[in-house]
Amino acid sequence: MYNTKIRGVLVEGNKSYADVSRDIIAPIENTAPGWWIYAFAIGIGALIYGVWAFYITISEGIGTWGLNNSVAWGWGIINFVWWIGIAHAGTAFSIFLLIVRQKWRTSINRAAEAMTVVAVLCAGMFPLIHMGRIWMGFFIMPYPNTRGPIWVNFNSPLFWDVVAISTYLMASAVFWYVGMIPDFATIRDKATSKVRKAIYDFLSFGWVGSARGWLRFEALAMILGGLTAPLVISVHSIVAMDFATSVMPGWHSTVFPPYFVIGAIFSGFSMVLTLMIIIRTVYKFQSYVTDSHINAIAKILVFISLIMGTAYCTEIFIAWYSGGEYEYYTFFNNRISGDYTIAFYGMIICNAIIPQLFWFRKIRKNIILVFIISLFVNLGMWFERYVIVITSLTKDYMPANWSTYSPTVVEIGVYVGTLGFFICGVLLFLKFLPMIAISEIKGVLKPTSNGQYLKK
Amino acid sequence: MVSTLRNNNIFGVFDDEDLFIAAMKKMEKAGIRIKNVFTPYPIEDVFNILGLKTRMPYTAFIYATIGVMLTYAFLYWTSVIDYPVIIGGKPTNTLAFVVILFVMTINGGIVMSLFTFFIIQKLGPGKPARVVHKDITDDKYVIVIEKTEEMSNEETQRINSALFENGAIEIGEKENVETI
Repeated sequence: MYNTKIRGVLVEGNKSYADVSRDIIAPIENTAPGWWIYAFAIGIGALIYGVWAFYITISEGIGTWGLNNSVAWGWGIINFVWWIGIAHAGTAFSIFLLIVRQKWRTSINRAAEAMTVVAVLCAGMFPLIHMGRIWMGFFIMPYPNTRGPIWVNFNSPLFWDVVAISTYLMASAVFWYVGMIPDFATIRDKATSKVRKAIYDFLSFGWVGSARGWLRFEALAMILGGLTAPLVISVHSIVAMDFATSVMPGWHSTVFPPYFVIGAIFSGFSMVLTLMIIIRTVYKFQSYVTDSHINAIAKILVFISLIMGTAYCTEIFIAWYSGGEYEYYTFFNNRISGDYTIAFYGMIICNAIIPQLFWFRKIRKNIILVFIISLFVNLGMWFERYVIVITSLTKDYMPANWSTYSPTVVEIGVYVGTLGFFICGVLLFLKFLPMIAISEIKGVLKPTSNGQYLKK
Repeated sequence: MVSTLRNNNIFGVFDDEDLFIAAMKKMEKAGIRIKNVFTPYPIEDVFNILGLKTRMPYTAFIYATIGVMLTYAFLYWTSVIDYPVIIGGKPTNTLAFVVILFVMTINGGIVMSLFTFFIIQKLGPGKPARVVHKDITDDKYVIVIEKTEEMSNEETQRINSALFENGAIEIGEKENVETI
């Protein structure tokens, strides 16, 4: 059974079950606070810039981006991989911790899942517009057509990506929504306005919390979790194979799939940390997202950071040890030294060195420092994708093909637009949906309260 | 299965998990048949006392198998039968299918398990909730016992007092409550 001594109290402040419902529903029942409106306005502003950039990209073409013959993948693919990495938060948190029965996930899983769904939507945007002619996008679907019928290339990682990412979006959305059904029922039964009651009644699918309902609900959660856990490994392995199956120096590497998966979980965890610190501060949810939660995430980050550091060292070592001169040139003359050193050292410092500060308990306890470090990791993971995509493409086998790359205002706009979309999506989630899993918190409230539980 | 036939029921409301579990055990022992219980979160003891089991993990396995077989059939038909494209003499029936097969196994398992859950549990968008007590999704636990027409007044009285003695804070009657 659950051992409270190892993990400590999961929900602090002697909360009763009614308190849990009330606290978590409060942001939905109350009107949106001032900061929410300002943040939403900023998100909309960014989104408008993004819509403009999107429009220019579609109407005029990919020529409006800074891409050229050599650097055919620029910010579009960097941001695609970055968002997909962040999208691994929900799975990492919710699903891996569910199947290893780590009860401390309950305060954080819902927000992590919401983040996942919004981040996958952001990520999916990039390959779509990168096609150039988005209206031809349906060609990627294997359907009986009048062109032969010629089928899509089922052996291409680019097609695997389409299958894996759409399955991942579906699985995450399903896992997220099904988890919310009992909480929608709680909101429905507690709602004070008729409109809200009707909306959440519709969303709750008629859930009443009967014995067999709960049994099947738990079984379904385990099935979805158990199936999605290997999926997440495959999603980012496939993204890695987009690179690794090519013959570009710096990409053509067997370490790529595990290296990408770990990197994705790393960026997912750090984004969760960033968001949870904001949520617990602005909504005063310190009783639910306790210092112990932050501490646990920080410990995981320091561990993953070590793996990241090892992966970087492995790549550099193999570039030298393999004796491949192109590989050697990419790593030693175009990353460690050369034009892109800022991105390379940014990546090393942000991902492999700064998180090492989490070895110190004092730093793990200092919320502001933890927040800043989590931002550094987000930035570092962006640098990592920049290093991978750009340095390999700018200088490949033929010096005649060498070229430089810098993004245009349109490319930047698409990225800022997805950031705006993410901000708006997460804010809408915080306002209208239960941001902490109410029923799951109740399930761990008593067994983990260390005898502090008091009936009120 | 969920029954929607017209029926009348007695329910007892509890505000403590331990009392509720103890009451369930005592009532089962006293030979009172519990029709259904409602709780704000899943409780393992409830499943054990009522002897509830689900076959959903087995069906999920079957669904995943269906997913992988249908996908392989599709890949084989498109790539080997309908329009084989030979690239550098490589086989058309290739090991590279394994990636799509892997993903579609998961896809099949998830989609079909989800629909199974909604169908057997009779949940769906806009389905009206038949809530026995307004606080069962908040902090109350409810035991429901069916009140049949042939039940005598003494029997009803016995059920009421059993609920009351075991710590129910509120006892009432409600029509058309779903069976387990």
